[in-house]
Amino acid sequence: MAYDYIKQKKILLVDDEENLRQMVYAIFQQEAYTQVETAGCGEEALKLCKEWKPDFAVLDVMLPDTDGFSLLEKIREFTDIPVLFLTALGEDEDRLKGLLAGADDYLVKPFLPKELLLRTAAILRRTYKEETPLVKLSGSQIDFARAEVLKNGEHLPLTAKEHEILQALYRNAGRIVTIDQLCEAAWGDNPFGYENSLMAHIRRIREKIELTPSKPVSLITVKGLGYKLLVEE
Amino acid sequence: MKSVLKLMKRFFFTLLCSAFVLLVLNLGLLIYLTYGSVSNAGGWTSTGELTEELLVDGSGRYILTEKGQEILDEYQSWGILIQNGTGDVLWHSDNLPKEIPLHYTISEISAFSLGYIADYPTTTAAKGENLLILGHPKKTYWKMMHNTYDYALIEGFPKMVAVFLLANLLVILVIYMVATSGILKSVRPIVKGIEELPNKEVYVKEKGLFSQLAEAMNQVSEKLRTQERELKRRESARANWISGVSHDIRTPLSMVMGYAAQLEENQSLPLEERKKAGIIRQQSVRMKNLINDLNLSSKLEYHMQPLRMETLNLVAVVRQVVVDFLNLDLEGKHPIEWEIQEDLQGCFMQGDKELLKRAFGNLITNAQVHNPKGCRITVKIMAEGQGCKVLLEDTGKGITEEMLQKLQNTPHYMLSDSGVSQPRHGLGLLIVRQIVEAHGGTLVFYHGFEGGFGVEMTFPAERMEKGERTCTEY
Repeated sequence: MAYDYIKQKKILLVDDEENLRQMVYAIFQQEAYTQVETAGCGEEALKLCKEWKPDFAVLDVMLPDTDGFSLLEKIREFTDIPVLFLTALGEDEDRLKGLLAGADDYLVKPFLPKELLLRTAAILRRTYKEETPLVKLSGSQIDFARAEVLKNGEHLPLTAKEHEILQALYRNAGRIVTIDQLCEAAWGDNPFGYENSLMAHIRRIREKIELTPSKPVSLITVKGLGYKLLVEE
Repeated sequence: MKSVLKLMKRFFFTLLCSAFVLLVLNLGLLIYLTYGSVSNAGGWTSTGELTEELLVDGSGRYILTEKGQEILDEYQSWGILIQNGTGDVLWHSDNLPKEIPLHYTISEISAFSLGYIADYPTTTAAKGENLLILGHPKKTYWKMMHNTYDYALIEGFPKMVAVFLLANLLVILVIYMVATSGILKSVRPIVKGIEELPNKEVYVKEKGLFSQLAEAMNQVSEKLRTQERELKRRESARANWISGVSHDIRTPLSMVMGYAAQLEENQSLPLEERKKAGIIRQQSVRMKNLINDLNLSSKLEYHMQPLRMETLNLVAVVRQVVVDFLNLDLEGKHPIEWEIQEDLQGCFMQGDKELLKRAFGNLITNAQVHNPKGCRITVKIMAEGQGCKVLLEDTGKGITEEMLQKLQNTPHYMLSDSGVSQPRHGLGLLIVRQIVEAHGGTLVFYHGFEGGFGVEMTFPAERMEKGERTCTEY
């Protein structure tokens, strides 16, 4: 999937450890992110946030002059850019504290560069959506903005539930999404017992997106576990 | 305090018993000692015997046989035979003392037959119509002269005995109460203290009969609490130390991992070098997992890991873990098969979702790490007793029976106190066990049906079977 536009986003890296900062900087550069700035302390970070106006910030929790949670609080006073905590504090409490403070994600050191990049891309994609992309499938296209499917020149409208299920699948395109996750996406917090309903919805979705609904190629069943949506590049 | 009461009861009972035993013993002894003399009161029998030995000769005179004389000699007694009516002495033995009269009136006979003639105790027997009297040496017998009792007295005797015993009992009780109340009063605080000792710190006033005991107990209590505090302090120090080390190691390891990964993907490097970088990356990931495991394990062990309990569907949790691994396993070397009991839809239990995911994840990782060439992993969920059973089995190389036994029965080196021992297995499995047990479940390792390694976990859970809840929403 080409999401080159996210590489143009401004990324701010805040970490007091010079070496690590440089490494993360290099990681983003290698991935062809063009606008990356770094800061070594909270004050510097806050200044950059105000003047340079980044689109996304990676924050360390332990900083020489403040801690990441307070820093985020201050940043939140004037902007609601997405934030990812990258920290050595690996306890569940810290993780929850970070997420409660309003972070979009929390990554514990040590980490694989790939993981950081994937999470960043996911956050950026989620936050800065491209103008309603048409999702290309093997036999049709989904227009999420209009909640309809284009197949053979026909416009097939999606119901609200179908729309939600498809979106949940699309967010994890190419990966299996469990039955439970799909039920939760469609029916909310207490999704238990909707398995049969889900199957019915999947059947209807297939009728809309598949050329041969009885032999699906885009919406695959993984028996007992969940479903997978295959998207064309 | 109950124990003291019990002790008192037993004491009192013993006292009663011993009183009773004493009574019986004394009575028995009395009877035994006196029985001989009573039955030996041969005065009366000898008199009876002697009547047979007095014979009348041709001239109407009484003659004593030799045997009769022997009897008299034996008892050192003298004898007289008094004629009926006249009161004259018809016969007397040769050793008759001088002061004994040879004529008796009826009133005299009545008196001496009960008592004495000139202080000689007498016994009597009938010889035809006449009366034979034996006089025994003074002080051989004591005779009761007026042996008459009110009939009412004899009739009320059992009642009297009962009253007698009861009165004794009461007296014993009172004596006992008075004697023990003092001791009890001083024992009570000590007993109470000992009873409370396991639960909290105890202080007993050091005075009274058992002041030394109280002092010793206060010392014990103090020592116990100190040790407890010390132990807790050490445990948390150990857990904190592990947590601190694992924290400090994260940042440097980040760099090892990050740069290794970068080098691995650097197309300008020779393939050989990139492979080496790949190994560094893999090993640093292993180190990362180790740090996480070490930290979690020590926290679980010392109950410093708060469990975030919520009602969850075990099926959904396991399913999520399986899917996460499937989504990551890009090479398809470790396919996972999912089998769920046909009618089973949900297993609801109180649990910490993240920890449970960690446990199942550890098991799948374990299978992958130990079978780098690939293997099939089967995950099964089924109903079991009052809960659910999760089976995780691989088709890998498996382990030996000996290893299995060790895994099942020997504590992990982290929990072992038997000195520096060989690491028996990774922390991964230890954590799985700790997590399963923290959820009230059980864990068994076994040999898989296809030679691989298998783990069976049973959790208490509320099952929901298919068809129990219908849904109409579309």
